[in-house]
Amino acid sequence: MGMHRISQFLELIEGVATADDLTLAMVEVCAMLGFQHFALTHHVDLVQAPSPAIRLHNYPAEWAAFYDEKGLGVSDPVHRASHVTGKGFRWSRMTNMIPLTAFDRRMLDLGRAQGIGDGFTVPANVPGEARGSCSFANAWGQPLPEAMLPAAQLAGTFAFESARRLWSIRTPQTGKDKPLTDRQRDCVLWAARGKGDWEISRILNLSEETVARHIKQACERYGVNKRTSLIIRTLFDGTLTFSDIFRR
Amino acid sequence: MLHVMRSGAQPIPDKVMRAMFAARKEVFVDLLKWDVPVLAGRYEVDQFDDAHAHYLVLADRDGGHLGSARLLPTMRPHILDSFYPQLCEDAPPRAPDIFEVTRFCLDRSLSARERRSIRDTLVIALAEHALANGITRYSAIAEIGWLQQILAFGWRCRPLGLPLTIDGKMLGALGIHIDADTPRLLAEAGIIPLPGLVDRDSRAAA
Repeated sequence: MGMHRISQFLELIEGVATADDLTLAMVEVCAMLGFQHFALTHHVDLVQAPSPAIRLHNYPAEWAAFYDEKGLGVSDPVHRASHVTGKGFRWSRMTNMIPLTAFDRRMLDLGRAQGIGDGFTVPANVPGEARGSCSFANAWGQPLPEAMLPAAQLAGTFAFESARRLWSIRTPQTGKDKPLTDRQRDCVLWAARGKGDWEISRILNLSEETVARHIKQACERYGVNKRTSLIIRTLFDGTLTFSDIFRR
Repeated sequence: MLHVMRSGAQPIPDKVMRAMFAARKEVFVDLLKWDVPVLAGRYEVDQFDDAHAHYLVLADRDGGHLGSARLLPTMRPHILDSFYPQLCEDAPPRAPDIFEVTRFCLDRSLSARERRSIRDTLVIALAEHALANGITRYSAIAEIGWLQQILAFGWRCRPLGLPLTIDGKMLGALGIHIDADTPRLLAEAGIIPLPGLVDRDSRAAA
């Protein structure tokens, strides 16, 4: 596919004014690329995101209903795999990327039974926001349009940005109004590294009570009760990053 | 403050330049493992760091590096035409009003929150530098994950060709169009500069 055609579909994607327009544009883009289905989505079930989440697709209705009923947004192996790479991947290669559980395999089988065969997923990660992706899929037995995958990569990347604009997901939400204090952040960082209050108190030269208070107050700022939720939220909004936690 | 270096302008203090080359080594060599030359074991400097390159450097009051970017005139050899022409469907863009953005560098010492502010400030500085100097388009090469972020800044981007996997990394080339509307697009996308760093008066004098 030449850049002329690609520019055409990027203009289609960027020109949309509503979510319905974007769905229609994506159906057209799917046809140009040689796919039947698309799904443009945030992987938000992992974190109870306070802002509206992107979700657009043209999967068969029965499959979508089953997916929601089982809450698969949380554990979808396609989503998980898209968190370990920056570039698009074929679903058939997922086994090389993440460990698949028995439930994952059953789910992929069920998808197949509903007419979803192999697919290609473009990860979309904007720091400070929920991770997302744009997937393209074909019916079971129909091969992926191999030559079109680089174009699908671009289409997925631009489509996700178009969806972000429609959903107005453009400013970091959580924590921005009331950022953690540096001390609170330090305590959460060490908690994320697996340290308990006493250990953190030794490391930061504070009393154990003070550490507990910092963490409790940090929880209050995010409106969560557990330190696990607190850590996830600070990672989600960029107060902490994975490299902060692993860097020693 | 923001230091700007372009031909004919007042040079950036040596200390600020040294800190930038050292920061680039920490980011591109130590962190990202790019195979690029290192001077004296401390500074990442390549053949494009010459008198024709422009630099935008954000530094703290003591000259400490916060963030920086290098701009290469496309009328001269630059990275896209020298190393990655295959990323462009047509010839790599080449015009007096097109510059290539390279070595977009956020200091490793920054916290996640600071990174975002410095990144935003640098993006705004790029747009304002273009508007002040008659640059209408930037070209850039980005790994595909970073490309999603570049789009998310809100400015108008167009791919120059299909992304390709080169040495295990998927890379794409992008044209970034800058015009009078760009500052508004960036603001709408939530790209907010740090108030203290971009000082219009000192920049005008730079």
